[in-house]
Parts: sequence; structure tokens; C-alpha cells
Amino acid sequence: MGRKDNLRENSGPRSRLSIGDTLRTASTGPRSRKLRSALSALGITIGIAALVSVLGLSSSSSADLIRELDALGTNLLTVEAGQSFGSGNSSLPIDAPARIRRIDPVYEVAAVSKIGGGVYRSDLIDEGRTQGLTIIAADLNLLDAQQGSISQGQYLTSALQDFPTVVLGSVAAERLGITQLAPTRSIWLGGEWFVVVGILNPLPLAADLDRAAIIGYPAAAQYLDYEYEPDIIYVRARAEHVLDVRSVMSATVNPEKPEEVEVSRASDVLEARAAAESAFTNLFLGLGVVALLVGGIGIANVMVIAVIERRNEIGLRRALGATRFHIAMQFLTESFFLSAAGGFAGVMLGIGVTVGYAILQDWAVVIPSYALFGGFGSSLLIGGLAGLYPSVRAASMSPTEALRTR
Amino acid sequence: MMQSTINGSQLQTDLSEEFALKLQEVTKSYAGTPPVHALSDVTVSVKHGEFVGIVGASGSGKSTLLHVIGTLTRPTSGSVFINGMNTDGMSDGALSGIRSRDVGFVFQEFFLISGLSAVQNVANGLLYSGVAESDRLRRSEIMLERVGLGHRLNHLPNEMSGGEQQRVAVARALVHEPSFVLADEPTGNLDSRSTESMMELFYSLNREGTTIIIITHDREVAERFPRQVVLKDGKIESDSGLV
Repeated sequence: MGRKDNLRENSGPRSRLSIGDTLRTASTGPRSRKLRSALSALGITIGIAALVSVLGLSSSSSADLIRELDALGTNLLTVEAGQSFGSGNSSLPIDAPARIRRIDPVYEVAAVSKIGGGVYRSDLIDEGRTQGLTIIAADLNLLDAQQGSISQGQYLTSALQDFPTVVLGSVAAERLGITQLAPTRSIWLGGEWFVVVGILNPLPLAADLDRAAIIGYPAAAQYLDYEYEPDIIYVRARAEHVLDVRSVMSATVNPEKPEEVEVSRASDVLEARAAAESAFTNLFLGLGVVALLVGGIGIANVMVIAVIERRNEIGLRRALGATRFHIAMQFLTESFFLSAAGGFAGVMLGIGVTVGYAILQDWAVVIPSYALFGGFGSSLLIGGLAGLYPSVRAASMSPTEALRTR
Repeated sequence: MMQSTINGSQLQTDLSEEFALKLQEVTKSYAGTPPVHALSDVTVSVKHGEFVGIVGASGSGKSTLLHVIGTLTRPTSGSVFINGMNTDGMSDGALSGIRSRDVGFVFQEFFLISGLSAVQNVANGLLYSGVAESDRLRRSEIMLERVGLGHRLNHLPNEMSGGEQQRVAVARALVHEPSFVLADEPTGNLDSRSTESMMELFYSLNREGTTIIIITHDREVAERFPRQVVLKDGKIESDSGLV
């Protein structure tokens, strides 16, 4: 107490500046230097747009994956022969499908087998040009086990599977150049003509089947001299017991050598793919943060220049009664304006990119709110940090120094 | 010491205090080897309604005196009273308050803000005294009419002549009804015709009661002033008001 307080009382009202006037005052600088302001805010715009669109795109794509997984189910187990300790590849016992059917929660079992030989458009094509296509013999319930669907024609039936008929995976059909089914369309398969009766849609849980020409076991035995031996068995079990079924699978299939049986969950593969994508997401997020930092430095730079250029204005305002605090607030607010404008434009751009790409990919648009608010919030934070030094510098300038010309 | 205003809404000058400005044994030195004594032992007072010219060659200390009178810098020793208030030891905020109420600056370079119209520039004179915006603009329009620029309200500075710009600056210095107008070479950047009409404006404002202090190096201009204070080497050489 004492002298200072008395003086303050005696000195009459101090100068003041309302929040509205602070905003108005701070907006004159950027408004009278539009191009420079826009360019300095551009860095923030790019950074925020990158963050929002990366977060938006990864959310949209994972939402799409979840939708896909929901549709395909996470209860599909794939049983294959693993590596044996001895010599060569092991194989599954012939009665493996029957054994698996005995596990209680299992409700669908479909076996497929790889058959040697190539798949060609006609018998005139050179044998070396297999185009990576394989012949697969499959059970009739394969499509149910995969929850796959038919693009054209039909799947094998109990009537058809005795005859040389074939259903093509989506990739196989494309590589063979069969886009439209005709009643008499045949392909050269393992040295025999087979009539194409259907084309499948892609099977996300078993991409190998997309490159396969699928025939019935009876036809395989009759026309290609094939002896039954399951290679891969697709098993659907009730969702709540999938893990239990998985744990007993090996021992059930091959009680003598359970270690030679490999069991995987198809949806795990999709999830691993998603995890790999999220690694890219992190990379892009990192790039966005770097762009944001560079943008912040750009704003700081422009503000430092503004303080030097507008020295006379600072001196004038001090002469008109502005306190150091008023000057600091003016430049800090100006910095906020630049970064907020840049941030807002960035959020809009990020939304635009996400919506555009999601529509292109046929995804549902999902932009997490933390991306929007976080994006805008971080632009404000950057603006505050960028404006801190210039505004303190402006405020600490002595009025007499600031009023000096040249 | 009389207190001019305690209520912030009341901004007009309190005439119960005789002196608009009083400097008592003011000294201003800048550190260095040897230290520079820009002002030494300056004592001068200006009554309300006076028209004073402070004249001095460059290097006479008149810029320093301008800054001391305008409370932009503190004296090394001595006291500055503005409208009866001793500014000794006042905080930066309190001095800013004094400037926003009691001092009206006019500069040689006008210092108008380029992005703002004439009326907005004048309104800046009231910006830091807590007057609402609509009030600021209304009072600024009246003041621009008074300096003869009623037809230029919404012009930008670069759309006006030098003389017009300086009139805007004068209106800005007057709009908050300060205890005195402190003009630093106000005609230094004007041609002779504009100089003439600018001086006319100052005389007519003074006749209407405004206290005016003009700092200039131009003895010719100053000769016509009712009172001249001549500054030399940081000391007052003569003061025609002390007769």
C-alpha cells in the first residue's frame, strides 16, 4: 500500500481497450495487407488440411473395413497343412472335414484342393502362359463358408459338379477376358474343355480364390484324374466360440501331429492390413505436424516483420494512450487471426479432401470430431506461440524509439 | 494538487487548474561516456488557452522536450505536471491514461494508419479512453467538420493531400478534448500554401480555447506565435511569456 496506490488513484482513469476494440484493431493489419496475410496463413492451412484429411481418410477407411468385417464375419477359420519337421510338406488327413464337423459350435465346413495344371482361354494358348491362375476343386458350400456372392451366372450345384463346369474367381475371369457369360463359353482347363457357369465377386477373406478356376470334386476326379485330398478347409463356427474351436482345431484335425496343422483367422489378415495402413497414417500425420510447425514459423516471421515495419504505428498508438499490454494484445490477436483463418481454411480443405476421396472409394464419410476441433485448436495454439515473441517485442519498444522516422 | 477527473466518462479539461502543463527543473540525460545532457534544468509552464512555440535548432533538445512533455519518456530528474497532476513515478499504464486524456499529439509525418478512413483515423484518438465505437465515430465526424474536412470522412489517407492528411491528424489530436495539443513540426512536410492554412487552423482552434504547444526549428513560423520559448543546448535561452 502507500505511494503507488495513491498515485494510481490520483492519476485518474487509465486507458483501456475493450475486447471488441482489440479485435477490430488487430484486424486492420491483416486486412490492409491481404496477400501477405493469406500467404502467411497458407502454411497453417496445408498443415491442418493434411492432419484433418489423414485422420478423416483413415477413419473412413477403417469404418469401411469394420463394415466389411461385419458383413464377412470374424468367425471364419482357415485350416491348412503346415510345414512338417521331416521331409517335404505335410498334408491334411482325408477325413479332416468330417472330424471338424464333429466340433459342436462349427456349422459350416468347406474344403478346397489345389489341382495341378493350367487355366487357359483356349487350347491354342501356349502352356507357359498360366497368368498365375490355379485350378481349385471345392465343396458346394464354399460360397456359404466365404459369405461370397455371385457376380454372374451361378455357383456349382450338385447337378453341375459331376460335369466339366467351372466357376471363375473375379481376377481369373478378368485375366481370361471373360466379362460376359455366354451359354457356351468354355475354357481350356487341365487339358479339358470346361463350361463357365458363373463368375464370383471378390472374396476378401480368401484372396487366393479370386485367382482360381473352381470346379467340383466329382468332375475333378472324373476328368482330371484327381485323388481327393483336402488342402485348405474353411470353417465357420459360432462367433462366441471361435477361439475355443480354434484352440482344439489342430488336435482334432490331426491328433498324431497337431503341430503340422496351421489354423488362422481370416479376419486377422484384414486387420493386419489395416494396421499396416495405419503405419502410413502415422507417417502422414507426422508430415502434417511438420507442415504445421513450418506454418507457425511463417506466421512468426511475418509478425516480426510487421512489428519492424509498423514501428511508427506502435509509437502512434502509444502516443494515443495505448499501454504496453494493449500493443502486445493487438499483435498477439493479429497472429491469432492469421492462424485461425489458416486453420479454418485447413479444416474445410481437409473435409473436402476426405469427402471427395471417400466418395471416390465408395466409403462412408467419417471425420472424427477430434480431428476438426483438434485441428482448429492446434492452429490457435500455433498462432499464440508464433505471436508471443513479436507481440512482446512490439510492447517493449520504447515510444520515443518507435516514433523515430528513418 | 487538483484532481481533474475521477469519473472516467468525464473527459473534458478541468479549468480549475490554472496550468495545462508545468515542467519543474527537468533534466534528461542519456548514459554514455561522456553522458549526454539533452535537457538541463528546464522550468516552463503553459496556462490553459495559451499558444506557445518551442523553438530550437536541431540538437537543441527539442525532440527530447517533446517526449518529456508528452509523457513518452520520463525525465532523469525534475517533475512534469499535466493538468495539475504530478506524473512522477507513475506506472506505464497511468502515463498511458494521461496521454489518452490530456495530450493531443500532432506529428510532422502525420502518422495516419493507411488502411483506415479519415473518420476511423480520427476515432483512434478516442480508442484507448473507453468510449464506445458509435460515440467515437460520431465525435470524429464532428471534429472533421470542424477542421474543414466534412467532405472527406470516408477517404483513405492516400486519397488526400498532405495538408488534408495533417488536418485529419489535428482532428485526431483534438477529438478527446485534451488539456493541450502538442504538435511536432506540424508544417514540416507541407508546402507553403498548406502551411499557411494549417497555421490558420491552429490560430482559430486557439481562439476557440484550445491550448496549443508547437515545437519547431523554424524561427520565421514561430515569430508570429503569441509566446516563444527558445531552447538552446538543452537549456531555455529565452521565454517571451516571462515578461
